[in-house]
Amino acid sequence: MKLSSAKVPKESKAASPSHGGHNQNSFHSKGRSGHTILPLQPVDELEQWSSVAVDMHNNNNHHQPQNSHTSTSRSSDYSAGGEPCATGNKWASRLLRECARAISDKDSSKIHHLLWMLNELASPYGDCDQKLASYFLQALFCKATESGQRCFKTLTSVAEKGNSFDSARKLILKFQEVSPWTTFGHVAANGAILEALDGETKLHIIDISNTLCTQWPTLLEALATRNDETPHLKLTVVVTANIIRSVMKEISQRMERFARLMGVPFEFNVISGLNHLGELTKEALGVLEDEAIAVNCIGALKRVAVEERGAVIQMFQSLGPKVVTVVEEEADFSSTRYDFVRCFEECLRFYTLYFEMLEESFAPTSNEKLMLERECSRSIVRVLACDNDQDSEGECERRERGSQWSDRFKEAFSPVGFSDDVVDDVEALLKRYKAGWTLAQPHQDETGLYLTWKEEPVVWASAWKP
Amino acid sequence: MMKGGFEVVHATLDMIQPHHEAIWDFASVGFPTTSTVSSIPRQIVENRCINLERNELSEWVEQVTKQLIDDLPAAETGTDYSSSMQADTSMVCEDNFAPSVLGDFRPRKTVRTSFLDGSCGEELQWGNELGDQTNNVCENGGNGRALSRLDEQGLSLITLLLECSVAISVDNLGEAHRMLLELTQIASPYALSCAERVVAYFAKAMSSRVINSWLGICSPLINYKSVHCAFQAFNNVSPFIKFAHFTSNQAILEAFHRRDRVHIIDLDIMQGLQWPALFHILATRIEGPPHVRMTGMGSSMELVVETGKQLSNFAKRLGISFEFHPIATKFGEIDITIVQVRRGETLAIHWLQHSLYDATGPDWKTLRLFEQLAPRVITLVEQDLSHGGSFLDRFVGSLHYYSTMFDSLGAYLPADDPSRHRIEHCLLYSEINNILGIGGPARSGEDKFKHWRSELARNCFVQVPMSSNSMAQAQLILNMFPPAHGYSLVQGDGTLRLGWKDTSLFTASAWTSHASR
Repeated sequence: MKLSSAKVPKESKAASPSHGGHNQNSFHSKGRSGHTILPLQPVDELEQWSSVAVDMHNNNNHHQPQNSHTSTSRSSDYSAGGEPCATGNKWASRLLRECARAISDKDSSKIHHLLWMLNELASPYGDCDQKLASYFLQALFCKATESGQRCFKTLTSVAEKGNSFDSARKLILKFQEVSPWTTFGHVAANGAILEALDGETKLHIIDISNTLCTQWPTLLEALATRNDETPHLKLTVVVTANIIRSVMKEISQRMERFARLMGVPFEFNVISGLNHLGELTKEALGVLEDEAIAVNCIGALKRVAVEERGAVIQMFQSLGPKVVTVVEEEADFSSTRYDFVRCFEECLRFYTLYFEMLEESFAPTSNEKLMLERECSRSIVRVLACDNDQDSEGECERRERGSQWSDRFKEAFSPVGFSDDVVDDVEALLKRYKAGWTLAQPHQDETGLYLTWKEEPVVWASAWKP
Repeated sequence: MMKGGFEVVHATLDMIQPHHEAIWDFASVGFPTTSTVSSIPRQIVENRCINLERNELSEWVEQVTKQLIDDLPAAETGTDYSSSMQADTSMVCEDNFAPSVLGDFRPRKTVRTSFLDGSCGEELQWGNELGDQTNNVCENGGNGRALSRLDEQGLSLITLLLECSVAISVDNLGEAHRMLLELTQIASPYALSCAERVVAYFAKAMSSRVINSWLGICSPLINYKSVHCAFQAFNNVSPFIKFAHFTSNQAILEAFHRRDRVHIIDLDIMQGLQWPALFHILATRIEGPPHVRMTGMGSSMELVVETGKQLSNFAKRLGISFEFHPIATKFGEIDITIVQVRRGETLAIHWLQHSLYDATGPDWKTLRLFEQLAPRVITLVEQDLSHGGSFLDRFVGSLHYYSTMFDSLGAYLPADDPSRHRIEHCLLYSEINNILGIGGPARSGEDKFKHWRSELARNCFVQVPMSSNSMAQAQLILNMFPPAHGYSLVQGDGTLRLGWKDTSLFTASAWTSHASR
């Protein structure tokens, strides 16, 4: 049902007071559409759903709330108490999953009731449950009104307009300060790159990421402090997120300045505006025969349309790199993409972790946290409310797990283990943050390293050689 | 007594009225000069505020925007919304006035229109209260002074918000939704600018409304515990609640002078924060404490019972003979028999109004029950905010009201203060969400009275002016809260008003029933 042609039922006369006159005052006086006070039958069902929410809390809390109003405004004694989500009741998760199932079953009345409850309880500025409820509700609403694509476009264009070098930089740096979510991948990848390119004099790193080059200062420093002669570094950044494009100019200036300070001979290029990553060629990237190539892929592969991923990996192979480093978040929105409920549940699982992590890492009133959450909200709309075949470059958000990426890479590359030194570096990094973060080494068939938060793997880092 | 029904009431009122007009002049106070008291309890009050009909709205918009276009420099700022409007024609009103005309709209400093519920005809200053840095930005009608970047941001957000409210008021949900997507991505509730914080919450409330509108459901679902906690936090940080409590307590105390058996009905007792102070004073009366019966009403039996226990313990410690009756039904929905009126008891009804949820149910029934109970005193503390009227009325009124409220918090607490966030989010946002919700603040389609004081005035109640002792209490409260110079305490027309800068936010008054004399 499209939003613009939503039929709002006429106001139920039975429920309105009988003293004629202006009782439409609260509503739109044209009388075109009224708003329902639910007629008696659904009231019972509504009570049922309200008590579902109440029961969920009873399972976690110990008191018995009473639902003692008998008036037309049905309110339920709902006690979540606004606690920080570390002790959260997970009501949002249950309501959301019920709703996803109802959508899949096309159970219209149940959908309506659950959306109503979510709408009443959600807030993007409250605790974790409230935030999750709010952002997932937005996606569900877009889905139900078939406005997902439009919403996504509006959301991203607003975000891009509001973006600036300062705000983007501030955001990334603050995030890196409070959480190893991104720095984990940087340290692991840098370690693998340095080891693979050891002894080379002309390095060319192809950086396919949207990290505003925050990965590279430490690498440049490492290059500068190596015992032997400092190699020449060419850095070619391939930007796939529109939001980052506008700020790359400033970035290049800063990088060049930094390299000069470090005394590293340096060349910097930016490539943006690609339609497909697979379009990249040696020529386009300025790859020269005598260069030692490293391809560094941070969170970029998830943005590639699922059907194109094999081709992109082939393209990497064609560049003849000495090492390919890949870092991706550990979630699977890809194999589930035709099964709404499973995809929804995986989405919910991942973002619950992410939001909880944000909640514990940032101050409660942090604007940076808010921006990260809003970024998630766009992804959530994209994954859940937009059609698969509308994916164009950079818009896709279909994450895959490390094991899935590994299967793809094994077609063209062999895995490289991370050396003990690199593992030590990563562990040293994690010590700088709050408790809860650990490094997990792979099991038998797995490759790469996992960053775990509260024992859940969240980020996967790996290295590959031809 | 009320037994005779309304005819008796009529008669009494006719007799008393001339006398009252001598004490204060209703007209200047702003209360309606009613000589006609309708013979049936009206559910809907005559709108003192002009309820905007369609053509009035467009006239207003035209008027205001014309003034703006005359005043403001030619430079355009912000996005051109008219070109990006893709209104679904089936939902948009005929003359499409809203989008294009509002393209350049910025709120003026003084919105001197009669459609707002101007208590005592106060001038409402819209632009002024919005954020510290706006600093009279719209003053002098915009003489080409360069606006600082923050000012523009705040103003353009408010502009977009207003446009959005117009879209909602004409049921253009699609367009409203699009604008809200924008607003909710830009405005942050943690911003330095109070205007931006207000916009963030208003936008969220309107998004919520759009969804409910689409669902066709208007009932609320409320987290009472969270609300009560936030209420308490607010009480610690801001003088308004204590003002309400202490001035009312004083009026009640005066009404209980020399009475041995008293009964207090608190229409929404929450955690009963008000009563310990009163009990204390009653306990130390020269003539000794009275026997106190309290009927506490609230949203959940469990919470009310808990409050009752606390109060009982406290009363016991003070040596007051105390009874507590919890009622978890709305006042306007109970039968008088539930209240258990007892002979020889002096009755005080206390009502601290808020917009968190509908605490009392149908207004006309509440009024009727007041009349039947004929209390010795009704202590009423109203928000200077009308719950009645159309969506747009409520929107404009509450935008002004909450901007002021946010300002008062912002003057005292830093932007990242978690207490401030809790109050703004759990309390003020709850109110905003409720006021703007589908079905009005009652969330049931019931219309609410615009102005309780005027309702009481023309329905068998006589105002009891707040005494100088009450004023003294209020003064003491204010001294406890920095920055004291921002709050404004006004005594007039028998009421006490507490506000921030020029805007009154709460009005405390006391009333007695004719029949109780």
